[in-house]
Amino acid sequence: MQYRSKLFSTRDAYDTEGTQELFIKAMQENCRFQYKGCPEYRRILDGMGFSPDDLTDEEALTKLPFLPTLVFKKHKLCSMPESRMAVRATSSGTSGHSSEIGFTVSDLWAGLKMVLRVSKLRRLVSIVPCHYIVFGYKPHKSNKTAVTKTALGATMFTPALSRTFALIYKNGKYSPDLEGVMRAVVRRSKSRFPVRFMGFPSYTYFLMKLMDEKGIRVTLPKGSKIMLGGGWKQFYAEQVDKTVFYELAQRVLGVTDDNIVEFFGAVEHPVLYCDCKNHRFHVPAYSRVIIRDPETMQPLPLGSEGLVNLLTPMVTASPILSVMTDDIGILRDGSECGCGLTSPTLEILGRIGMRDIKTCAAGAAEILKEAQL
Amino acid sequence: MIIAKGKLYDTKEQDRILSYLEDEINETLAEKSLSPETVINAVDKLCDKVKKGEFDELISSLPIDGAEHYKNIAIKLLSRESIEYKLKTELGKDFFSSYETTPPLGMKSFSVSAHPLGVLLHISAGNVDGLPAFSLAEGLLTGNINILKLPQADNDLSVRIIAELIAIEPLLSDFIYVFDTPSSDIAAMQKMAQLCDGIVLWGGEAACAAVRKLAPIGVKLIEWGHKLSFAYISGYEDKESELQALADHIVTTKGLLCSSCQVIYIDTDNFDNVNAFCNEFFPYLQSAAEKHVPPTIDAKAEISLREYSAKLEALMTGKQPEKFTSSLCALVPKSDSNLELSDMFSSVLVKPLPHEKIIPVLRRSKSFLQTVGLICSSDKRAVLTDTFCRAGLVRILKAGEMSEAFCGEAHDGDYPLRRYVRIVNSR
Repeated sequence: MQYRSKLFSTRDAYDTEGTQELFIKAMQENCRFQYKGCPEYRRILDGMGFSPDDLTDEEALTKLPFLPTLVFKKHKLCSMPESRMAVRATSSGTSGHSSEIGFTVSDLWAGLKMVLRVSKLRRLVSIVPCHYIVFGYKPHKSNKTAVTKTALGATMFTPALSRTFALIYKNGKYSPDLEGVMRAVVRRSKSRFPVRFMGFPSYTYFLMKLMDEKGIRVTLPKGSKIMLGGGWKQFYAEQVDKTVFYELAQRVLGVTDDNIVEFFGAVEHPVLYCDCKNHRFHVPAYSRVIIRDPETMQPLPLGSEGLVNLLTPMVTASPILSVMTDDIGILRDGSECGCGLTSPTLEILGRIGMRDIKTCAAGAAEILKEAQL
Repeated sequence: MIIAKGKLYDTKEQDRILSYLEDEINETLAEKSLSPETVINAVDKLCDKVKKGEFDELISSLPIDGAEHYKNIAIKLLSRESIEYKLKTELGKDFFSSYETTPPLGMKSFSVSAHPLGVLLHISAGNVDGLPAFSLAEGLLTGNINILKLPQADNDLSVRIIAELIAIEPLLSDFIYVFDTPSSDIAAMQKMAQLCDGIVLWGGEAACAAVRKLAPIGVKLIEWGHKLSFAYISGYEDKESELQALADHIVTTKGLLCSSCQVIYIDTDNFDNVNAFCNEFFPYLQSAAEKHVPPTIDAKAEISLREYSAKLEALMTGKQPEKFTSSLCALVPKSDSNLELSDMFSSVLVKPLPHEKIIPVLRRSKSFLQTVGLICSSDKRAVLTDTFCRAGLVRILKAGEMSEAFCGEAHDGDYPLRRYVRIVNSR
């Protein structure tokens, strides 16, 4: 994986233009590996008439058959025996509806280098110790979800003085403990050390709303940050405008919007997207995005709305080099952002099939709820 | 948002309002009563406003297909004529007038009068849009004081309707309390449950189980649980139009309603006949599905992704794609006869069920039975209708009418208004 190694050692994490040739080479290298190692993937490529040898230019990236995330939810696709994988991560859907993706040690190594480079953008790595408030699942041996892992991972950017979890595992299930977290926030606001929030935007929002309703206001120590990741999950209906979120954070926690950082990523595309100071997601050098026409699946030009197809040569253990998400998004010219970065920006507009469905058929509500996770 | 005594309050006032709710309710019970006429008048005026288009903006913002169709149904059902008809059907004429009994064998007579049950707590765990308001109206018609707990995913529809009703008829305000308490606020839920004589619950198994835990012993539980429905085919009267109507029903209700067809039963014990039916019916379902594709980017993306995934699936596994499946709809033939939920969204199960096994098979699902869409030759209809009655079904209709609402219909085998009243004997 010499090309991958080179790509993930690129100094400028957002130089998509300068790394284009390298990216294509690394994709071809990865594609060859998957073709050899994963029989299902080989059958797909053969059936679609695509050979790894074809992967030589930018246009070929759009022709490379992509795999919808749905496929990973139905099949466990591996390109090597499980014994060679260091970690297996699942998406946060409940059983039967989640993807399981494997990572080797070298995959994780590439990932770690990427995380450190990307997170530099918002100066997340620091030696100043912090108190962490994690709006995610408290790690438990029954929980393999990537969200748990990344949320915990994010508490490693600085030395952690404490970690408070909002979702507590009790009697076989996770339940939110917002009151407990609120007490912790008030306590930590008096500390000398910064506080960092990490986790689902929905829970962070609920907490701030709860504090606002109760009239609780704190000013967190200088350098405190709110890091958001994992999407809105089942709370799509509650999704708020970003500016409302930022105003609330300033009013209730005293955290200004330049200290609010949002992440984006998926088990099936584990490249870390981190928003810039203007809160846009620039595509990192380790990833490419193709927006496709929802009907014809043909690639669309910048500025068009369509299905989001994500590409990366990061992982060898599973064939996730080109995955199609359930998200509708737009790719825009990054130089118009004004933050200084020039790589294209990705805006996620929503997920297909996320309507608020009402039902009175016996057993249907539970199934629909699961399907939405 | 909270409504109490006709005024709107912020959610954070909940505990304060709950703390004096008991006193307020006792005062209303002691001094006031509500006649059906007052309620009918208010609902009829509301109906006029809907007809004039005052709610059009709200209705068109709802995430439902065919909002206009539902609006027309609502206009019919909310009219004075319909409500009077409902009252007469469910409670009989002059239900609330008292009378003296004339018992046989010279036993002593006494007086009989009908009264509201008292206080009803309505809990609707997300169901059909506007359902909370509908449930409340039934409680008002029978003169009850109503505490309504809104479902968490409620769009403003119910609150808007209720506020409008109170504006039309301020006399209603003593009889209406609306809270948006989340189900997780156990203390508040318990407080409300303690104040009521009956709990009217709309929801699935999980919601029913939670409320049973919460309800004080002796409180009347009125559960409108989630149900399952199916079609039964034993010959035809007019095959083409009947299959067409069944296909339209499946596609338009998407398997989401209590009355939506989940399984198509074929009167046979031979699985070949099930497959033969699928072969014949699939083109009907496909063309109905094509007619009803919503023109949104969402729907298109979903369909093309499903098509693409099916193609990959076939390549990966080397298996032919499932036989009666397209990106729009599916028939899933199965050899067992169990009544179960389908995959919904135009995917429906097809199973054998010989008529002599109808009762033993359906009894296994007795708590969930609702509608059968019966397609059969005319000479079999009476016998099969009788069998389904004995099996526990409560709506036996033609296939295309499975989800139709009609004036004066019973609800899941009951007249709801009868459950919201009590009979007092006195001397």
